[in-house]
Amino acid sequence: MAFPIQYHIATLYALKMAGFWTFFKTLIDHEVTIELKNDIQIRGTLKSVDQYLNIKLDDIQVVEELKYPHLSSVKNVFIRGSVVRYVHLPAAAVDVPLLEDATRREAANQAGKGK
Amino acid sequence: MADAEEGPTGSVSEPLDLVRLLLDEVVFVKLRGDRELKGRLYAYDSHMNLVLGDVVETIYLIDEDEEDEDIKTTTKKSEMLFVRGDSVVLVSPQTSS
Amino acid sequence: MENGTQGEGKDPSSFLAEIIGNAVTVKLNSGVIYKGNPPHFRSTWQIDMRLTHLVLGELQSVDGYMNIALEKTEEYVNGVKRRTYGDAFVRGNNVMYISAD
Repeated sequence: MAFPIQYHIATLYALKMAGFWTFFKTLIDHEVTIELKNDIQIRGTLKSVDQYLNIKLDDIQVVEELKYPHLSSVKNVFIRGSVVRYVHLPAAAVDVPLLEDATRREAANQAGKGK
Repeated sequence: MADAEEGPTGSVSEPLDLVRLLLDEVVFVKLRGDRELKGRLYAYDSHMNLVLGDVVETIYLIDEDEEDEDIKTTTKKSEMLFVRGDSVVLVSPQTSS
Repeated sequence: MENGTQGEGKDPSSFLAEIIGNAVTVKLNSGVIYKGNPPHFRSTWQIDMRLTHLVLGELQSVDGYMNIALEKTEEYVNGVKRRTYGDAFVRGNNVMYISAD
């Protein structure tokens, strides 16, 4: 059921809009670990992401659960993009050459915007 | 022919051009909260959101428990890391040292 | 009158344009957080302290967000040289000021 997303990875990367949103959409249904700016790390399955890079995770597990017991009964979370420090990604699911090409294309589109 | 860059300063006519030249290079990234990263730059955008590969993160913890404050460092590794741009302070090519 | 351009005074961005290629000092507004366990309290505390955090270098370029590209960069924290960089990109939101040396 998730396979259509896989088929369109190249197409998604090729879209000129909203680079990282597009990139994260290719990682849906993969396991990621999100590190928040308050140091809490949450591992789970990426279920959805929006243009602000808000993220929905399923089947979550808190790294160092003993330190953060208040999240132990939570099964899924919606994380506001702005509180994210890092997302640890599954390296095998990232097509590096494609990602670099998409970045170059985005850079060419963005050139001069900050002037 | 590619479009010529405008402006007198060659290929770095705006700050983001410097980052563009670092694509696929090993970079040093200084972050808020006394953190530093070294890794290969695979992607960036104008917010300085980054994707880095083979990352080593160094965290500096300044401990004032003792009379003389000592700085502890912790290092962590990550194979593939997305960094949210709002934490980024500085990006520089990693000089081999 | 060299700078009286059409009745408009010099604006900040024309200052920045003028100092491209010059040696500059950039002050960052980065806060440093000290964490610890003082003996008299059970809980941990943290204090947000402002350090003097300066970056010196030759200004390659600036954009509207005050993102900065520097060459031959030196980094000073509280007056002590921490690091040198060949090139450095500084994200604009961390910049307090740019001064021409």
